[in-house]
Amino acid sequence: MDYLVAVLLPQLLHGLVFGAALGLLALGLTVIFGLLGVMNFAHGELYMLGAYAGIAVIGWTHSFWVALVAAPLIVGVLGALTEVATLRPIYRREPLYGLILTFGLALVFREGVRQIFGGDMRRILPPFTGSTPLLGMTYPNYRLFLLAASSALLLAIWLFFTRTRAGIIVRAAVQDAEMLDGLGVDVRRVFTLTFAGSAALAALAGLLLAPVFTVYPQMGVEMILLAFIVVILGGMGSLGGSVVAAVVIGLAQSLFSLWMNPQRVAIAIFGIMIVVLILRPRGFFGREGVLE
Amino acid sequence: MARDGVVLDVAAVSKSFGALAALAAVSLAVREGEVFSVIGPNGAGKSTLFNVVCGLYAPTAGRVRFRGREIAGLPPEAINRLGVAKTFQITNVFPEISVGENVRVAAQSRSADSGRLPSLWRRPDVDMRVDELLGAFGLAGRRDELAENLSHGEQRYLEICLALATEPSLLLLDEPTAGMTPGETKDATQLIRRVTRARGLTLLLIEHDMSVVMGISDRIAVLHFGEKIAEGPPEAIRNDPKVIEAYLGPPEDEGPRARE
Amino acid sequence: MSSIVTGRALLVFAALAALPAVPGVPTYYLLLAFDALLFGAIAMSLDLLMGYTGLVSFGHAAFYGLGAYATAILMERGVLSLWACLGFSVLVVGAYALVVSYFATARRGIYFALLTLIFAEVVYTFFRYTQTFGGSDGIQGLPDAELWRGVPIDTPQRKYYLVLAYLAVAYAACRVLVTSHFGRVLVAIRENEDRARFLGYRVQRYKMGVCLISALLTGLAGAIYPMRSAFATPDLMLWTESGEFIISVMIGGLGTLAGPIVGGVFFTILRDKVSSYVDWYFIVIGVVLIAIVLFMPKGLLGFRRLLGFRQWRATG
Repeated sequence: MDYLVAVLLPQLLHGLVFGAALGLLALGLTVIFGLLGVMNFAHGELYMLGAYAGIAVIGWTHSFWVALVAAPLIVGVLGALTEVATLRPIYRREPLYGLILTFGLALVFREGVRQIFGGDMRRILPPFTGSTPLLGMTYPNYRLFLLAASSALLLAIWLFFTRTRAGIIVRAAVQDAEMLDGLGVDVRRVFTLTFAGSAALAALAGLLLAPVFTVYPQMGVEMILLAFIVVILGGMGSLGGSVVAAVVIGLAQSLFSLWMNPQRVAIAIFGIMIVVLILRPRGFFGREGVLE
Repeated sequence: MARDGVVLDVAAVSKSFGALAALAAVSLAVREGEVFSVIGPNGAGKSTLFNVVCGLYAPTAGRVRFRGREIAGLPPEAINRLGVAKTFQITNVFPEISVGENVRVAAQSRSADSGRLPSLWRRPDVDMRVDELLGAFGLAGRRDELAENLSHGEQRYLEICLALATEPSLLLLDEPTAGMTPGETKDATQLIRRVTRARGLTLLLIEHDMSVVMGISDRIAVLHFGEKIAEGPPEAIRNDPKVIEAYLGPPEDEGPRARE
Repeated sequence: MSSIVTGRALLVFAALAALPAVPGVPTYYLLLAFDALLFGAIAMSLDLLMGYTGLVSFGHAAFYGLGAYATAILMERGVLSLWACLGFSVLVVGAYALVVSYFATARRGIYFALLTLIFAEVVYTFFRYTQTFGGSDGIQGLPDAELWRGVPIDTPQRKYYLVLAYLAVAYAACRVLVTSHFGRVLVAIRENEDRARFLGYRVQRYKMGVCLISALLTGLAGAIYPMRSAFATPDLMLWTESGEFIISVMIGGLGTLAGPIVGGVFFTILRDKVSSYVDWYFIVIGVVLIAIVLFMPKGLLGFRRLLGFRQWRATG
């Protein structure tokens, strides 16, 4: 019982939060792919840029909360600029080009950050310290805050996709991008806003999680690999599927870390993916149709 | 084997996408050698029916039998190998290779080497069939042109060539004359009828152009909101009050053509 | 047969074969040429996937690295025969490629890229952290391989001819493949996969087939590498290595076979000159990739693509 409370529960909490962040990334990937037809290899780097933008803003303003607003904005703008300059010209081309281009973008972002900030590990201090007793164990306040924040974020996104006109359109367009043409919206602006929005969300996740993990240029790489696994498991057409799969993977990652070293954890997660693919080749929520 | 001369037997097929019922218990039987048309206002479920028959979707309920053999739920390539070929409403060819290559790769799928080890180094000889098909549709002179450079009408013909190259016995044509001028439509209709008669093909056709449908069909089925509301020879359909109501009822963007 | 071995190709290979005979060519350049030709061969085999079938493999380095480790494992135990090493690599890489290609080709094209990447990462992680295979140091200090008993491949000249022979055979095999029935179906799949299905092709089988062939060719190249470098390390399997293969194909021109060889050579030489500025190296690669996609998608030899097709059509 002690074990359950002292070790398992905190790890579960951690896994939920991690899964929520992963879900944000996977959602961004899914939406960008569904709408723009591009698999954004640089999405992990947008997450990483959120943390580094946070470091920069905190350096100027000494406020984590200001950074929490400013960093996603900065990365969102960067995302918009990137989309206009590099992605827009290639929408009509074969999907292969989008993959290669975003792969190149990832390299540029990652190594660019290394040049500017150096390759050392950095830390962002949590905005408040202290812990709260809960269910027989004390939890760091910041982690409780994270849990609340990520739940709120996911709720907000869910509301966006189900209650707002823009959200409903985007969700439908993810399934069938051609319908946008018939709606009389400025498709190019929708694409740019969508990309920028996804970038901002990824950045927010990166900054929120930064006080819990260390910050270093490669931090996006592990996330993107896991996000890819989430996308493969969740199926590409389903937004809800992405979030569910992300939470599952997040929990798995967290729990396995209790018992195995990091390399084995990676292989175990991979093993889960293989098993699911064997049993359900389309993933949990894959769409109908031969070619999903 | 076709029983009672029935080549395609669609039995109470339903197809739903989530809450949307695209097809509701549709049944029809297509006989050997006939031209069977499926018509109906937009959204009636015609394309969905085709997609179920040719393997893109599995039906939510009901059965589909081709020559007595159950094909519902089989993948498209398996159904094609059994002898069912389909053309697409929106032209779906291989854009950046030549017309001749397009038809050649389609014809190759029926060569003896296809799918076996020697195909890694051998080049099958299908030139004669390619020439014959191109000639039948007047595309022989365009053989070396990239498919994406063809005119719209020529591309529609290429669509049909590709399907025919797989040597089907049942041909599904999804709005073959879509986007054609009235003159082109007339030529296309005659050409299609001539070619299919010459090869003894059974034809299942989706069309919006009533002149084509009335002129070419042996029998017609009418779909409306996923249900079959009428079936019979052209004369009977033309005068059927339910059909007239389906077309002239709530506004669809059918336009004047449908009321011919 | 003339379309397989064009006069131009013969000329190029003859010139390459004469290279070591040129007086005053220092060892360093011969070994650089080795690396360049090997890279070119790998890029060519990747072109089968990327240029002809439209599938991007972000994990090709895994095939390469596995081939290298296969050789290293044998040579570490005293098996020096070139043929044994090649044969063993075929087994190892083939088994891995079968598994990867099966999962990677089951769904549409984008999943191929994702899954090859993930698989390669797992393989890298496995070798990096498994001490039996030397961990992060890999297997070092390997002896020279033997053509057969008593004939070691020890001089730079012999190593150079080894890779040249490999390239020649691989090139001929690829040319046969792309002009065959199989090769044409690959292009059809690239142009319009759905349509190919509706024409009766079991598309997954073709994708698996080309993935396997490409993987084996790359794996054989990997098997040859330790015979020049005397080591096999996990770094050979890094995704950045896969990125370098991709960049070589893109520089040279998709769908031309010869282009990627040139691209691989060009890139190896470029890397040799630039890698002294290690810091900026990866940024340069990223920028080059972006620039190629935006401004020069058909690569250096891209204009030859049309030629390639015309040749194709002409041979009927």
